[in-house]
Amino acid sequence: MSSTRFGRVMPSQITNPGDAEEKRYSSHRVDRVTLDSAHHCLAPKRDSSTPRHPQGYALTQRTALHWQYQVLEWAPRIQRRSSDDGVEGKREAGGQAQDSKEYCASDKDIVEVVRTEYVYTRPPPWSDVLPTIHIITPTYSRPVQKAELTRLANTFLHVPNLHWILVEDSQRRTPLVTRLLRETGLNYTHLNVETPRNYKLRGDTRDPRIPRGTMQRNLALRWLRETFNANSSQAGIVYFADDDNTYSLELFEEMRSTRKVSVWPVAFVGGLRYESPKVNAAGKVYGWKTVFDPHRPFAIDMAGFAINLRLILFKPQAYFKLRGVKGGYQESSLLRELVTLNDLEPKAANCTKILVWHTRTEKPVLVNEGKKGFTDPNVEI
Amino acid sequence: MATRMKLKLKTVFVLYFMVSLLGLVYALMQLGQRCDCTEHDLPKDRTISRLRGELHRLQEQMRKSEATKQPQKHAVKPSPPTIFVITPTYSRLVQKAELTRMSQTFLHVPQLHWIVVEDSPHKTPLVSDLLVKSGLAYTHLHMPTAKDRKLQEGDPSWLKPRGVEQRNEGLRWLREDRRAQPGGESQQGVVYFADDDNTYSLQIFEEMRSTQRVSVWPVGLVGGMKYERPVVEGGKVVRFHTGWRPSRPFPMDMAGFAVSLKVVLANPEACFDGEAPMGFLESSFLQGLVTMDELEPKADNCSKGLGSDPAVEV
Repeated sequence: MSSTRFGRVMPSQITNPGDAEEKRYSSHRVDRVTLDSAHHCLAPKRDSSTPRHPQGYALTQRTALHWQYQVLEWAPRIQRRSSDDGVEGKREAGGQAQDSKEYCASDKDIVEVVRTEYVYTRPPPWSDVLPTIHIITPTYSRPVQKAELTRLANTFLHVPNLHWILVEDSQRRTPLVTRLLRETGLNYTHLNVETPRNYKLRGDTRDPRIPRGTMQRNLALRWLRETFNANSSQAGIVYFADDDNTYSLELFEEMRSTRKVSVWPVAFVGGLRYESPKVNAAGKVYGWKTVFDPHRPFAIDMAGFAINLRLILFKPQAYFKLRGVKGGYQESSLLRELVTLNDLEPKAANCTKILVWHTRTEKPVLVNEGKKGFTDPNVEI
Repeated sequence: MATRMKLKLKTVFVLYFMVSLLGLVYALMQLGQRCDCTEHDLPKDRTISRLRGELHRLQEQMRKSEATKQPQKHAVKPSPPTIFVITPTYSRLVQKAELTRMSQTFLHVPQLHWIVVEDSPHKTPLVSDLLVKSGLAYTHLHMPTAKDRKLQEGDPSWLKPRGVEQRNEGLRWLREDRRAQPGGESQQGVVYFADDDNTYSLQIFEEMRSTQRVSVWPVGLVGGMKYERPVVEGGKVVRFHTGWRPSRPFPMDMAGFAVSLKVVLANPEACFDGEAPMGFLESSFLQGLVTMDELEPKADNCSKGLGSDPAVEV
């Protein structure tokens, strides 16, 4: 793979990783580096000969200089791609916000130095060969938000080549999330778009008719399409990870080999111990093992599939449907524009292992298991 | 000359025809046979094996870097004090999910030893496998709760104290294990009781590492803006800010304090009293160990818990 694959991210807005940028980051760096928490884009300036483990990952095949160039190109660009305020004026019928394309000006005056010295002592691992996993997480402000995002960050820090796209359902990017993202040291993009009040959940928060997080996910898809060129060779996988689920690390390795769309079982959805795609002997998906409306085109939870980035870029019109989506059909509204049932790739040992749990901060409700139990009791959840 | 030429031409044509026919027959015979596609597959296979090797290498590196951070008994140079986390757990639907995300958090904490005590008459394979795969330093114990002390289906969670026998078992193992160590009594360490349904930010583990006797900090409560915290004046804890029965000797949550290993070993009788009235579980343990003004406030004199971001969410 080309070493400058990320350098080609935005040809029209090449930043020369020259003095201005280095100076800005070096002032930041002074405080961080000595405390052994160096953000990975700052670390390699020091001795590459002794591979301290934070650098060990990336310095294997490239010289330090090369890696430094690549990351300085990529990481700051990704971080600064956070859009400014979402809804400044409605431009489309769907009310989706335009994110500004200019660099976020506020990052130029970073004065606050975050005390991260003892917390995340290891930057996330990075390899030149693995496809990047782009994780899209919509989030909204509520008491447990920080707890959930913290837990997610703790999980994601173990995954190599991860890029977290966090989209807030708010008018402005909140300081809580901004601070949290900076402290973790993850590669992230921080976006926001506020769901207009018509679409927000009213009254009963468990009303499934109004899909939550749709606008946020669509914004992230739009960002991906604007950032990555369909012709480039950057391999990527897109995964929609809600902030209240639990993910095992194995899941991310399973999804990395996605060619089009891969699927796997999810625990605690649909009133069952788990929902799963039905896989035949030839390793093809032919149906859905669910109780709740198994005849949906894609009877799968948001956390049960991943899409290859190429497919997203290749079909730029595919988005989640905003209006008129029946409960449980939101995933289908996107997937049916991308793949057919035949193209689905079953993962997790032909959909027999549970690698993701749709946990919420409440006890799971198993109304659909029935007396005899619908799901295979031998499958461990 | 002409006939010979004609003959030659004819032979050429015949030969050409025969060769083509033979070729056609050969091709037809090959139809339906397994084709040898190694030429096509090779680059793909090569990429796959290269990627796999890369991934494997990365994982090895990660594991190695985690391992080197936890030199256990043979440390030559003084390593930071080990944090012993005692977690009682019991079988229920979300058990695996909760333990999984706990392990993902703990993997970030250097010098951590996870003591998992199952409420079960024997070790379950679910927990055993999870611990082995986690990559953490751990001890797997089990201790069933007596039937009359166990919560029944439908009981509210506060009806009976939970995890008492398991935490006590964890303490017992710890004391026994440390006594067997060379220079056991003088070992540095911190003991923390972490339930498997909470969220922990990495900050508290570093804050608690410097515990001399018992340290405390704010704890956030899920479901509301509430939090509990010690009130600190002049660097000492004077009382506790809590909504529920503040007259308890130590009105705080299990996740809100840590005890130094020295104190635990020096008081071998100190354990949790299952008969204590509701909410007094923590007090039953701490009462014999420390007085309120000996408590060490962490998290910026327990001010970090104000409003937005406590380090622990229960």
